[in-house]
Amino acid sequence: MIPVSIQVRQALGKLVLPVLLLLSVGIIIAGQADRRLADTARMYVADALAPLWGLIAHTQTDVSHLVQGVKDARHLAEENAKLQTENAKLRRWYDVAVSLARENDNLKTELHWVPEPTPAFVTGRVVADSGGMYARAVLLVAGTTSGVHVGNVALATNGLAGRVTEVGPHAARVLLITDIASRLPIELESSHATAIMAGDNSPMPRLMYYPQDSRPIEGERVVTSDQAGAFPMGLPIGTVHYLHPGQPVVQPFVQLDKLTMLRVFDFGQSEIEPPDAPGHVPLTRPHRPLALPFKTLLGQGQEG
Amino acid sequence: MSDPSPPSWDPDLEPRLTLGQKLDRTARHLLPSAFIVLVIIFFSAPLAIPGSAELLSAIVIGSVFFWSVWRPTGMPALAPFLLGLFMDLVGFTPLGVSSFILLLVYGISTYARFGLMRMNFLVVWFLYGLIGGAASFLQWALACLFRLHGLDPAPAFFEALLCIGVYPLLSATFSWFLHILDEKESA
Repeated sequence: MIPVSIQVRQALGKLVLPVLLLLSVGIIIAGQADRRLADTARMYVADALAPLWGLIAHTQTDVSHLVQGVKDARHLAEENAKLQTENAKLRRWYDVAVSLARENDNLKTELHWVPEPTPAFVTGRVVADSGGMYARAVLLVAGTTSGVHVGNVALATNGLAGRVTEVGPHAARVLLITDIASRLPIELESSHATAIMAGDNSPMPRLMYYPQDSRPIEGERVVTSDQAGAFPMGLPIGTVHYLHPGQPVVQPFVQLDKLTMLRVFDFGQSEIEPPDAPGHVPLTRPHRPLALPFKTLLGQGQEG
Repeated sequence: MSDPSPPSWDPDLEPRLTLGQKLDRTARHLLPSAFIVLVIIFFSAPLAIPGSAELLSAIVIGSVFFWSVWRPTGMPALAPFLLGLFMDLVGFTPLGVSSFILLLVYGISTYARFGLMRMNFLVVWFLYGLIGGAASFLQWALACLFRLHGLDPAPAFFEALLCIGVYPLLSATFSWFLHILDEKESA
């Protein structure tokens, strides 16, 4: 230790707190000025902590499986009878589905249907709820090494969950559709009207900018729209619900507070280019409509 | 040839500590911070506990308050700063906001330390409620400021209530812990 007198040491001790307070204010300003630096630091920490969170998540699922198993064991006979009747019913539906699929295939071959490309996807475990109080985001154990990119679409089992906003080598942060920074172009399935779904940190995002002549109907299905080029058409999101008259919200199909696994799809939207049309004057530059609105959406997503 | 450097001297009048004692002392000083780090890591995992985000802030604020009042050696000023920074890095809050709030809590509680230590538990609890409420409100106000958007104040109220509610539990646990440590020291 440096030999200093007691008075100097006491004075230094009193200075520590104000200096640290100033330093934290400095960090706040620096973090606001250079978001990218803050995000890189965040991803480093998240990458380092991902295995630990994975362990906690694993333990939690194991424990809940165990508890569920014990609960289920009490109603086994009842469940069995119910399943048998359901199975008989489903077998009928299976036959119907097979015949329909065959018919569909036949019709497609008749029409010389061009099959859509199957998108590549990776599945990752949700290991951390990195949102906190004022944001909704989760951390996924799948990063650039497994082919996840910024802007990829994250789907849960039965619908859209969010979009990848930051990627590290082993972890990716997914901004959920309920976050206040999330704005998605959507389509109302029965009226084919487009609208914007805006998150507000509550479990049900609001619907905005729907056409006044075709208002959303209670219970109507809401799917993604390919308007800004960020999403492919028709990914299921949820159903319309009216909390108050004139205030439609979307009830997501996915239970966003209980995510365990997410599939991250690369739909390769930016690779779809319109063919050259000789003599046709392009209204916008070819890459602009795909890239620009998407970037601005992401920019909002990175807000602290 | 004699050694030109002056002999090193230690201003403390304590006897020199053995390695084991030094390790023991360091472990004691780092214990509260280590506890809070574990709490942060645990609560940022996707738990089935509702309101875990609010609970995390409440526990961290309560722990910083308790240790800076009762054992400031276990909570030097650097600790709330680093813990807040870690919390921000793990979460989605703007970097430095939690550090700022925790340092304020730390500053107030160390300043009022000698007054608080003489008081009845219920009075301390009440005063802590005021500090926790103010911290939650500040957190909400800063979040609004950075988003330039009025956010729903409900989570802030919820956090303030959790802050107040969780304190007796934290206080009892930490007091019991301090008791054990002191017993060990005197033995």
